[in-house]
Amino acid sequence: MLRVMSRRGDDRVTWDEQKVLAGDPEATAAIREAERIFTQERAKGATAFRVEPGKPTQRIEQFDSTAEQIVMVPRVVGG
Amino acid sequence: MSFITQVLATLGWIVVAPLAISPIVWLILQPYFKGWSRAERRAADLLRDALTPEQFRQLVWRGYLEIPSPTEPQRVYRVPRTRGYIQVIENGRAVMRLCVQPVECLPDADVVVLHKLMIEANEENYLKKANKYLCIE
Repeated sequence: MLRVMSRRGDDRVTWDEQKVLAGDPEATAAIREAERIFTQERAKGATAFRVEPGKPTQRIEQFDSTAEQIVMVPRVVGG
Repeated sequence: MSFITQVLATLGWIVVAPLAISPIVWLILQPYFKGWSRAERRAADLLRDALTPEQFRQLVWRGYLEIPSPTEPQRVYRVPRTRGYIQVIENGRAVMRLCVQPVECLPDADVVVLHKLMIEANEENYLKKANKYLCIE
């Protein structure tokens, strides 16, 4: 799942990795959409984190379709 | 008599006018209230997913979340539940306050998650971006 923080809470794109591997067109489209959003948000300065229960949070630079959950946070500045 | 009538009429308008316009005001403002509460709900869902039960309890009861530094064992970041400075505690003493905020307006719960993720996985960059205010005793 890709979760992108915004003023609306967080926007989510979900996909089923098993269905993607099986070549399901809907799942493939979802993953393409998630990848597009990931790239777009990264270009705006957002940071992406791979978040999985019981594992340390990891910052990622590239979209990873095998991640259970990717959370994207907007660019931060000193206040 | 006419003066009393006028006063009563004025008082009547003072009561009736707000009642008459309140549905219109509500209709105008409702989408904003609904949108905001939906955003807060979604943010609260993410917060619950991102925190352990102990961390969530700490945030609710104490009003802040303590995040241990991944690089400095004696350092803890204290993130408030609502907007405010992040306290840096070293060996039990507040040594610094940090001000870091997202460029986009986010619900408070999302801001807590943002600090947590940045500190845990991007501490160096987080500290680089933050405005620092040293605590002097």
